[in-house]
Amino acid sequence: MKDEVGGNLQRARFQALCRALRPDLLRFAFWLARDLALAEDVVQETMLRAWKARDSLKDEAAAKPWLLTIIRREYARSFERRRLATVDVDELIAKEEPMLAASQDQDIAELRAALFKLPDEYREPLVLQVLMGYSTAEIAAELRLSNAAVLTRLFRARKRLRALCGEDTALDPEDTAGDGDE
Amino acid sequence: MIGCAEYRRAVLTNPRDAPPELATHLADCHECSAYLERLLRFEDRLGRALRVDVRESAEPVRMRPRRVYRGWLAMAASVVAALVLAGGLWVAAPHSSLAADVVAHMAGEPEAWARTDVPVPASDLDRVLERAHMRLTPKAGMVSYAQSCRFRGHTVPHLVVQTGMGPVTVMVLSYDSVAKTVRFDEEGYRGVIIPVLGHGSLAVLARGPDADLAVVRKVAERVENAIVWESGPSATQP
Repeated sequence: MKDEVGGNLQRARFQALCRALRPDLLRFAFWLARDLALAEDVVQETMLRAWKARDSLKDEAAAKPWLLTIIRREYARSFERRRLATVDVDELIAKEEPMLAASQDQDIAELRAALFKLPDEYREPLVLQVLMGYSTAEIAAELRLSNAAVLTRLFRARKRLRALCGEDTALDPEDTAGDGDE
Repeated sequence: MIGCAEYRRAVLTNPRDAPPELATHLADCHECSAYLERLLRFEDRLGRALRVDVRESAEPVRMRPRRVYRGWLAMAASVVAALVLAGGLWVAAPHSSLAADVVAHMAGEPEAWARTDVPVPASDLDRVLERAHMRLTPKAGMVSYAQSCRFRGHTVPHLVVQTGMGPVTVMVLSYDSVAKTVRFDEEGYRGVIIPVLGHGSLAVLARGPDADLAVVRKVAERVENAIVWESGPSATQP
């Protein structure tokens, strides 16, 4: 009986934690997958895996990065299952048009479409930095990259994004980073 | 002493948290100061763009897996369902059927069953219907709840129509077809799944021992007639 009550409490606490973090997790998964339905599936699977592995979370304050790591793994798994060789970005944009155009601000809708067009390797660190508030070192640890490689990707991400959005890029510095920085 | 290119390269990696040693350059360079200002405005828009509105898709947190049908399992389930449907049987214990999945889905959204006279905001309803490539004319009745829900691997509209008997749930199952009307009575829910030619089926159900199947049928008929299909998926008829 005591165990059952304890289990229920643990379950309720875990559900409350997941509920609080879910919007951010779903946003992260959405920008990873560029597909809301897939993002919802990935987040749902993530919650299930997290619940099964809950004992490995020692500190609740670390729940968010812990769940983000699981989301990335789960997304990679789903990608393997689907075995998609190519992705038609225009199709993705058309499919998620209601989500991208949800803002009344046309600039925001255009920026979202531009984010869809960014290569994954640039979009992901940018989302981790801007949306999730990760530091360069934290992004490097999550993506298993060097700090220099993360900085290069963030630089290229913004440079490309600004160009895609028609920003004045005349003063943007040249991309002088070599492949070695990656 | 750093130059403009080095400064701009650094701020492009993180405009909101440039290293302090760059501040001295900024103090002396008006061009880079203006550049940073523009970059920060862009950064503000970027932050807003990334914060997509996920409220409409917020599903309850579930600690058990969805029922997933894949490959031969899905095929086997279809065969079983076809046999059951061909016999025109009353689905009293639909543990492996479409009806069972509909009933299981109900458990995840108890808030949908509120008796109310407040309609769901038109913009919310439109958003849910648009995702399913459909519209609903007013003759459907008063819709008090509308969500885009994941069901059997697809996103489908989950609506609640208020009636004199109380709330009646409608799930538009464009991807799941039935050969003929299926009635079910399971776990406190009574309802029907009716075929919709070229667009799968409609699952319509009420809750509780007083649920009147005749009212449910009437709602099913009303909603089916009120749907205007824009385009989109059409399920294969069994």
